[in-house]
Amino acid sequence: MTTTFDIYDAYIDILQNDQFSPPLAAIKALTKLIQNSDAGTMFELVSALQKGAKDLSSRSSNPISLNAGCELFNAFVTLFPHDSHNFENLKQRLIDYGETYATEALTYREKIAELAFGFIKDGSVILTHSYSRVVMQTLLRAHKQKRISVFVTEARPRGLGIKTAETLTAAGVPCKVILDSAVAYVMDKVDFVLVGSEAVVESGGLVNAVGSNQIAIIARAANKPFYALAESYKFHRLFPLSQYDLPSHNTKFLSFSRPSLPEGPASIKSSNDESIIPSDTSTLSPKPDLDPPRITQEQISQSNPDVDYTRFVLYSSTATYSIILIFRTKSPRPDLISLVFSDVGSLTPEGVSQYLVGMFSG
Amino acid sequence: MPVPSMADPPLPVHKPTGAPSQKSMTKAERRELQEKQRAAKQAAKQAQPQGGKPAGQPGKGQQQGAPAAPKLKPPQTPQKKVFVVEASGSRQHASGSRDAAGANAADAPSVPPGLRIFSHFGQPKVVGHVVKGDIHPEIVRLGLLFSEFKISGANARCIATLSAFKKVIQDYTTPPQNTLSRHLMTHLSPQISHLVAARPMSVTMGNAIRELKLAISNIDIDMVEQEAKNTLCQKIDNYIRDRIILAGAVIEQLAGTKIKDGDTVLTFGRSSVVEKMLLEERRKGKNVSVIIVDSKPLLEGKHLLKSLTSGENPIPCTYALLPALPTLLTEVSTVFLGAHSLFSNGAVYSRAGTAMVAMMAKVHNVPVVVCCETYKFSEGVMVDGFSKNELVPIPVIQRTAGEYNPPTNQNLETLNPLYDLTPPTYITAVVTEVGLIPPSSISSIPLALGKTSL
Repeated sequence: MTTTFDIYDAYIDILQNDQFSPPLAAIKALTKLIQNSDAGTMFELVSALQKGAKDLSSRSSNPISLNAGCELFNAFVTLFPHDSHNFENLKQRLIDYGETYATEALTYREKIAELAFGFIKDGSVILTHSYSRVVMQTLLRAHKQKRISVFVTEARPRGLGIKTAETLTAAGVPCKVILDSAVAYVMDKVDFVLVGSEAVVESGGLVNAVGSNQIAIIARAANKPFYALAESYKFHRLFPLSQYDLPSHNTKFLSFSRPSLPEGPASIKSSNDESIIPSDTSTLSPKPDLDPPRITQEQISQSNPDVDYTRFVLYSSTATYSIILIFRTKSPRPDLISLVFSDVGSLTPEGVSQYLVGMFSG
Repeated sequence: MPVPSMADPPLPVHKPTGAPSQKSMTKAERRELQEKQRAAKQAAKQAQPQGGKPAGQPGKGQQQGAPAAPKLKPPQTPQKKVFVVEASGSRQHASGSRDAAGANAADAPSVPPGLRIFSHFGQPKVVGHVVKGDIHPEIVRLGLLFSEFKISGANARCIATLSAFKKVIQDYTTPPQNTLSRHLMTHLSPQISHLVAARPMSVTMGNAIRELKLAISNIDIDMVEQEAKNTLCQKIDNYIRDRIILAGAVIEQLAGTKIKDGDTVLTFGRSSVVEKMLLEERRKGKNVSVIIVDSKPLLEGKHLLKSLTSGENPIPCTYALLPALPTLLTEVSTVFLGAHSLFSNGAVYSRAGTAMVAMMAKVHNVPVVVCCETYKFSEGVMVDGFSKNELVPIPVIQRTAGEYNPPTNQNLETLNPLYDLTPPTYITAVVTEVGLIPPSSISSIPLALGKTSL
């Protein structure tokens, strides 16, 4: 069994359930790993878990939110009191806690929806981006008691905004899909922006579906509040200095491919020193007759990132206050309540970073 | 402009112009001044025949510049000092100040010019200051090293101080009818004040000494003296190891992850942590190029340049002075800075010029990373670099920056502050041994670390 267990397959399997977001799926996959592991000591187990986490993140195309889950679980296992009589017993308890946490974590979204409800006024026009489970839950919760209407961006290249719009329309929420390029056009009609998140990082910034950063910039310019919703397992000990400092960044993104057309500098160059290049120009000259290069949608999406990083400076100011709504639940370990899992409620971005710093350095 | 001062023969009568400020001085300072004036009078007598010579060719001496300047300097510098005094009293008596200056002619090389507006920065200390009281020879030696800026970095000074205190503690014997935990501190206090007299105390030293005091007061009264001393020395060693050396190593590692292959890194002046980090990343095989921005008065970047370009794995470096910064910033991927201290509002107190680099980088959207050990954190809050600062003594400038002539014009003052303050908004991240943190979260760190760790 241990030899055949593949953590990535298990992870993908768990993700099939629409309710589980990547960090939770990662936690569940690691729990499965413990189940299938034949480790006889704590050290073996921890290194197996670390290897599993590394495996997951190396095979996933966008490892940021997944890493947050792995980090949380591994920190929990490392800090777990070794007071069991035998190791099998300890492993069983770890598995139980992992399972309980994952099921309990599913209720976080309801709690966030409750917290966020107070921030949504009757008759609000909300702009959201792409698809986020927690935003959906919040919007549907608000729709029960208040009249809201929603603009949702198309969110290319994956087009997940359409999914949001379809779900909302089915639930009876007035909803319009707007182009990603029309955010600035629509911003003045909007009361506030509400987005989900892939991860909340140590700087207090946000990692979310690509396009969030530009929405935040436009919201800031229009003095509209920008709220982000994040479950506590999305806290990630990462400090990106810039967009290109994210683990998901790939040199393939934004790199220029070499155009094969002979026009431009090449022909000018050949005219300058013809003595050397006549043979060169002769081979190049037939090329313009070929079809002009075509760029497909797949090519575009391949050379673009999935996520971007929004610095908190953008959405925290006196003019537009902004709050990240997070809910943490009680720890399965009573002595760690104040340290690791506690109910932190609504936090400002500075609060997030202070909380994270305090949590990990304590 | 300086001509009149040369033309007027010294008239020692007006000396009391200095009196009003004397009231505000401390006893020690007053005595020092008196002694100086006495010495000055004597020297003035000797200088009299000499004084005629520069007076004979005043204009020429000024324009000649460098060669003549050293001769002219002595009578010039004290004028400034008196000028400060005057500024606080009545300013119209310009001639009085000049006369007094003449009287004080002799203490010229030892008393640097005062300042009209930044007088609260304190006079730069005289190199080779006097030893008062029962000072341990190790401390005297260290005092000289400090005042001559032979040891000048925040880390280096803290380590040197703690190591010297170890010797002081080992050479200490508790007097009869006394206990070590109560008496040792009274023995250490004059040593500390001696070091402070040599150069204002750094935040790092302050933090370390506070921890040391705590450790001393926690020593059990019944402990055997030698054992108590060993315990203290052990604690000092641990402090140096945990809070400075190991912390530095962790920071190097963390900061190193923010450098990617092919990056161009910009740094200002010289920071021991940044230096080690860059060398380490190079050793790991990363292709880094470094732009060292430097500035007068200390030109510490030269040392960094030397250590980065020599050695087994030399790093390609560009050396530039501060005015070239905007041109260079367009090619930079990250700015790494060191720090003297970090205040709880997230402001970075560092070598003068740092703030400018950080602000300029911010304008160019280049991330600014400050490397700072947690023992450098200060509990206070500072909002600008004027409320507290230090001046670079002129002899030090002359030694480090090469040819430097203090201004010979009495209406011209030079200001060489050693530090400046970078507001937290210009800093992207602070690298500490507990991780990368945004400057706004600095205040949550000391609590998390527990300050009682010496």
